[in-house]
Amino acid sequence: MPEGATKSVVPLFPVLLPWISLLAILLMPRKAPRLRLWLCFAGSALTFLVVILMLPGVLDGKTYYFKLASIVEGLEISLYVDTLGYYFALVLAFMWMLATLYSISYIDHKHNRFFAFLALCGSFLIGCAFSRNMFTYFIFYEMMTFGSYPLIIHEETTMARRAGYKYLVYAIAAGTVLFFAIIANYFWGGGVLNFEKWGLLSLETASRAALLTIFFTYIAGFGVKAAIMPLHGWVPDAHPAAPSPASALLSGVILKAGAFGIMRVIFNLFGIGLMKELGVHWVVAVFACITIVMASVFALTQDNLKRRLAYSSIGQVSYIILGLAMVSRDGALGGVMHLAHHALMKACLFLCAGVILVKTGKKNISEMRGIGYQLPVTMICFSVCALAMMGTPPSVGFISKWLLGSGAMQAGLPVYVVILLVSSLLNAAYFLPIIYTAFFRWEGDEEGAHHPKLDFSAENDRLMMVPVVLLALLVLVVGIWVTVPGFPYSLASRVVNLVFP
Amino acid sequence: MSGAFKHLPIMMITLPMLGAALMPFVSYLRREAVPWVSALFLVVSGVLGLLLAGRIPPDGCVGYRLGGWEPPFGIELKVDFAGYFLMMVVCGISLLALLYSRLYIIREVEGGKITAYYVLFLLLSASMMGFVVTGDIFNLFVFMEILAISSYALVAVTGNRNAVRAAFKYLLMGAPSSIMVLLGIGLLYSATGTLNMADLAARVGETGYREVLIASFAVLVLAFMVKAAIFPLHLWLPDAHSIAPSPMSAMLSGLVVAVSAFAIARIAFSVFTVHSWGVVGTTLDALAAAGAAAVLFGGIMAIYQRDFKMMIAYSTISHMGYIVLGFTALNPEGLTGAVYHVLDHGIAKACLFLCAGNFIYRKGYRRIDQLKGAWREMPWTCFAFALAAWSVIGLPPSAGFISKWYLVYGNVKADRVPYAVVLLIGAILAAVYCFRIIYYMFFQPGEEGAWRDQVMDAPAGMLAPTWALSLATLFFGVFSYLFLDSLLKAAASLLA
Repeated sequence: MPEGATKSVVPLFPVLLPWISLLAILLMPRKAPRLRLWLCFAGSALTFLVVILMLPGVLDGKTYYFKLASIVEGLEISLYVDTLGYYFALVLAFMWMLATLYSISYIDHKHNRFFAFLALCGSFLIGCAFSRNMFTYFIFYEMMTFGSYPLIIHEETTMARRAGYKYLVYAIAAGTVLFFAIIANYFWGGGVLNFEKWGLLSLETASRAALLTIFFTYIAGFGVKAAIMPLHGWVPDAHPAAPSPASALLSGVILKAGAFGIMRVIFNLFGIGLMKELGVHWVVAVFACITIVMASVFALTQDNLKRRLAYSSIGQVSYIILGLAMVSRDGALGGVMHLAHHALMKACLFLCAGVILVKTGKKNISEMRGIGYQLPVTMICFSVCALAMMGTPPSVGFISKWLLGSGAMQAGLPVYVVILLVSSLLNAAYFLPIIYTAFFRWEGDEEGAHHPKLDFSAENDRLMMVPVVLLALLVLVVGIWVTVPGFPYSLASRVVNLVFP
Repeated sequence: MSGAFKHLPIMMITLPMLGAALMPFVSYLRREAVPWVSALFLVVSGVLGLLLAGRIPPDGCVGYRLGGWEPPFGIELKVDFAGYFLMMVVCGISLLALLYSRLYIIREVEGGKITAYYVLFLLLSASMMGFVVTGDIFNLFVFMEILAISSYALVAVTGNRNAVRAAFKYLLMGAPSSIMVLLGIGLLYSATGTLNMADLAARVGETGYREVLIASFAVLVLAFMVKAAIFPLHLWLPDAHSIAPSPMSAMLSGLVVAVSAFAIARIAFSVFTVHSWGVVGTTLDALAAAGAAAVLFGGIMAIYQRDFKMMIAYSTISHMGYIVLGFTALNPEGLTGAVYHVLDHGIAKACLFLCAGNFIYRKGYRRIDQLKGAWREMPWTCFAFALAAWSVIGLPPSAGFISKWYLVYGNVKADRVPYAVVLLIGAILAAVYCFRIIYYMFFQPGEEGAWRDQVMDAPAGMLAPTWALSLATLFFGVFSYLFLDSLLKAAASLLA
């Protein structure tokens, strides 16, 4: 039992509640397909509610603990809610709820399979967030990885099949590397893998070579999910192939599961001190910087909107990694907060892409002339999030970038600021043309035709519009009222205070 | 252990044997009753085994003297926790395969031979149960012979040309290996003058005949390598396992080769013991190398198969390598991994073969590409297959994950990181050949007319054992903590 933790069964509920959806799918009569889907949503909403209810306790500094099974001494499957885990769970439960809502009207075939696996992945991801040790984390992580395969190939087109195949290849290889990392950690780390300390390994218990092996196998294993270049290959294929709510979750949450794993490795298993001592943060930072710049460059060349967004995600997740690798207070804070911030922005962007696809059937940016007049609300939300991605105040993107920049200065490395600025510039270079095409070009504009009238009639589907608008509003609200309890800052700053006492 | 309980182990073994002897009479009275009565014998045997639960000390063993004769002269059973665990595994999987046979075997075996099938089946189960708990090395040989001969016959039981040829191939490799076991035992006897394992363990250290010991161990290992189909002596396995009737394939792949692999561990740890590893260590190293080669070879060959029963058979070759790599790590974790792998591989492999049997029974399909779109017509079989494949790959939370964890951990702990990497590569290969089938079954549209659009799965009498096995892979993964503590202790005491 971790020190100071309250024994409580509450952490189990969010893991089990999504299974309501499965029961709904299995037990509800075939005649009421709509009811089944609403029950699925109810499952995800209840999950979010339970997670919210834990907020006051977590803000009070309480931790919760629930043991599922103890295999041998030191190796147990147990749930543990600390601030960092809670933070991730809160983000993902919220995203999951919105994506489920959106899916109700977006998904048009094989509902049962999609919603079943959507719920399963949600449950497993909450399990990841609430894991007490790397062993438990790995179990949930692997189940989540393979559980998201049916989401990716849902459309069953040739493109989706290929993307799914690629995803599996990456996932299997990454899982194997990770498995080895955990075994090595377990063996050289003295038979414990627990997260409750801020630095479990040390040079006294294991040799330098062993620690380096463990660290880099971990980074390689999680790096596939977190899409650190050159391990990002599956991301740009999987996102356009998957249905939009699934892409939103891929970018918003599933990629973050890799980043979250790296957080656990850096904060809890190695600890900031040991990482500095080993000097490995340089390597991670260099890879993150390369990813940030290269991904933006690749994004510039994409015409497919979702593919461009996917490359953007690759770069943005590396912001998180870079923040951690700065080994400075504000850098870590920025990195941790960017996990939530990017989830809000990118999920909104993908959901907008989904609306565009459903309402107009357009996938490529070059075809989207004048789309801002056909789908004004969607494109305004899209623009808000795109501007936020560039780091325009007042938005969440600005907060992340500000903190990361300040972290770079704290670490005495202005070069990171340059990287961030270059990246912002590139972000602008690939996002602004979309906004420009949507609002400032229209059919016949070169012949001097007047711009079309704003037409709100196409956006009549509330189930799809509510998540989009809500996310866009949150991008602004969370960016303005940063310190409201329950918003990312309140939790992330607690984490960082623990990591840098 | 007191009173009637001390007789339980031998009753577990003799009951199915008695059943085998009685079956012709049962058949004479009422032929339809044969499957049920044979199952009853295994059920009773299993219940007796359950009564033993908690009575076997994890770090010791319970001896039983057959006929009351004193150990060095009489035959002795030594039931330690690992042996008891495996005995239960054998009993459980045999029972499910036997129940499955009832409907399946009528199709493949002609009426008159059905009784013979059940007789041989019961003999096979009984011999395996004896095989894992015996404390006498000559008795080990006897059980091994019963096991081998009933397997040859069961491979050939359908009587068609290919089956007979496969059985003959099996016999051609099996018979010399049996003789080699005898030779190995003879050499041991000549060096020590005893056949009791505990007695041998005490005398092996004292005897001066070093070379004889080396030769004897090498011959025994080589012989059991044939029986356990460890690369490069696996040649008989793919044919025999893919041509035998499916429930029989489940027994052969799931249990027969695995307990033979365990016999090597038994001989290395209970007869030669830790003190003589200086003498026989080279053989163990060679065995480990063969095991590593088996993992890779079996996995790669499995990927290239077109017949799904062949694929499962090659996967077995790969997994025998896992077991060997586990116990040759010579630490409790590795040995625990190996024993647990006998369990989870047995369950998962038996389940895969039973699923294959379902496809053959319903559709007569044997090729992997014919499975495209199978989901629409046979969803239950497909689900069971996917769950079992999950365990074969070793993904959490299945039982395969637990054994993979201990196998890799044991090898890392023994400073054999290359072998740990081989095990991981083996898992990747398993993922390749398993996910291909899962993909075909669930996500690939089938050929026109290959599968109906309505659900027409195998009969419940066949689905029930299949599903029991596939759920068992999950059960033994999630509830592995019930057994692992005791298994680790048992492994540590075997290695003490």
